[in-house]
Amino acid sequence: MEPAHLVIAPLLTALVTAILTLATRSSLSIQRALSLVGGVGYLVGVGVLYNAVQTDADGVIVYQLSDWAAPFGITLVADALSVFMLGLAALVSLAALAFSVRFISDYGQRVSYHPLYHLMMVGVTGSFLTGDIFNLFVWFEVMLMSSYVLVAFYSGKQHTRAALTYVVLNLLGSAVMLLAIGGLYATTGTLNMADMARRLADHTAYGIDPAPVLGLSAILFTVFALKAGIAPFQFWVPAAYRAAPAPVAAMLAGVVKKVGVYAIIRLYFTIFAAATLPAGLSLPGLSGTAFLDFFGPVFFIMAAASILLGGYGAVGRRTLDGMLAYSSIGQVGFILLPLAVAATVPEVRTLGIAAALIYSLNHGFAKALLFLASGVIERMTGTLEFANLGGLTERAPVLSGGFFLGALALIGIPPLTGFFGKLLVFDTAARAGADLALAVALAGAILTIAYFSRAWNRGFWGDPVEILEQPSGTLTVAVAALALGVVVLGIGFDPVMDAANAAAGAALDRAGYVEAVAPEVVQ
Amino acid sequence: MTQFVLAAVLGLLFALGTFLVLRRDIVRVVWGVTIISQSANVYLVTMGGLSGSVPILAHGAHGDLSGVTDPLVQALVLTAIVIGFGTTAFALVLTYRVHQEHGTIDLFELERGGDT
Repeated sequence: MEPAHLVIAPLLTALVTAILTLATRSSLSIQRALSLVGGVGYLVGVGVLYNAVQTDADGVIVYQLSDWAAPFGITLVADALSVFMLGLAALVSLAALAFSVRFISDYGQRVSYHPLYHLMMVGVTGSFLTGDIFNLFVWFEVMLMSSYVLVAFYSGKQHTRAALTYVVLNLLGSAVMLLAIGGLYATTGTLNMADMARRLADHTAYGIDPAPVLGLSAILFTVFALKAGIAPFQFWVPAAYRAAPAPVAAMLAGVVKKVGVYAIIRLYFTIFAAATLPAGLSLPGLSGTAFLDFFGPVFFIMAAASILLGGYGAVGRRTLDGMLAYSSIGQVGFILLPLAVAATVPEVRTLGIAAALIYSLNHGFAKALLFLASGVIERMTGTLEFANLGGLTERAPVLSGGFFLGALALIGIPPLTGFFGKLLVFDTAARAGADLALAVALAGAILTIAYFSRAWNRGFWGDPVEILEQPSGTLTVAVAALALGVVVLGIGFDPVMDAANAAAGAALDRAGYVEAVAPEVVQ
Repeated sequence: MTQFVLAAVLGLLFALGTFLVLRRDIVRVVWGVTIISQSANVYLVTMGGLSGSVPILAHGAHGDLSGVTDPLVQALVLTAIVIGFGTTAFALVLTYRVHQEHGTIDLFELERGGDT
């Protein structure tokens, strides 16, 4: 088999699993087994693809659907950046899936849970692999359609209301995305990302005016910011995360959010960064001719707002899941911050993107772990209000240990992944001499310590509360597995760092990307 | 001429959609979202240029192959319409569910009746 075919392996695995779980709804045990096998198969598929990308001479594997050459056909591209994100998605989704099998009620699983979960993974996988900007929209929709239903899954009072906000906002986001993509097609004459990068790099030869492209890419950025929950588009996050079942909240924060982050890295650092605006921007505070000179300050303001707003909001929450949701807003700011520095200062670009990726990985694992733990705690005590919680360390030591490790990972204690994530963020800012970014990161770090110590004091120490129901072992094991992941990835950090560096290199290797996709020249 | 008419219609549709999205009634909000996404589709068609002839030539009936309207945008619009149908249906079902749960589709009452 040609290595090119491996690109669709994870996509097909998730799709086939979704169909099979839909077909076997009558037998719960078969459906569950198929779903878990599908989750493991997805991990294997990603692993094989990862290996193929590693051993590939160019490091980029391209699959032209139906053998239609780019830019006429649809292209799927797997490079170091895609497989890094896929690896994160595969590991977190498997843990969340194993957790769901015990956590979601039998009725809920029979109705629709498994097919929706795997269809969401289809959308996530497609978004990571697509090399075509319109298909990015289509994969986003596949992912969002499933996530709409999963957010409204319990269909109680708060859940429907949260789902309504989530759906309406994302539908508006989709319309805006269509507008931006249509405009980009009209101005650049292509939808293929590699072709677009090539044309933008030489825009006079193709008769492209870069000014509207800059505006349209800025409009497109609002959509990704909305998906990633970056301030000022964060307002839907707390309600949606609280309404969704715990494993779905773990997936939304751990994986779905990262699709927005991936799209930002791929489009703004690989594709749009090819263009320059010869006339420059005559706006206050925005100088320079490269597109990234413009996006740098925008990224920075939004990252700083996310960090401060998320941290401040998390400190004031009265419930554990509300605190985690606000914390998620703050943490995505930490992912965007090194990207902002990298956009402004070209010398630290590789380091900045690697920092963002490591932080994404850390947040994916740790936040998924925390949401799963909060799900178990709610199952045990019937509440997530800090006022009614206490003494969980005595009642559930393993679970509390897992929560503690997740909290430490987000705070950034060595040797957990979070330490390296935070270190790289600070390193990027320090090397670039960005004092303001350092100050924001420091404030964010202090806020993180504040809200996690508050959660720990209120929920895990003090007088033990009554336990309604001991959770099954599987739930604790899923939490413990993710906690182990945070520790193992932190101790054996070298390969992770190599992978992140390779991914950052791939994100910036525009020539290699264009050459691998090889769009034919059309005038 | 077509361009000017379409531009004016698109502007009106977006205005109407935005107006409806800001209403208190959820059904109107859903209508607003639908109108905005449909106007995005119309906008997408205009992005291919409107000067040409029909993109598919049946047995070469129109002879001249130059000046053909870009067929790609129409394929894109078809995809977007299908997705739009699905999401609209879901939004309407969700509206019905909200009415069942809360006994109202007034966003103002929904907000007041909710927790903090």
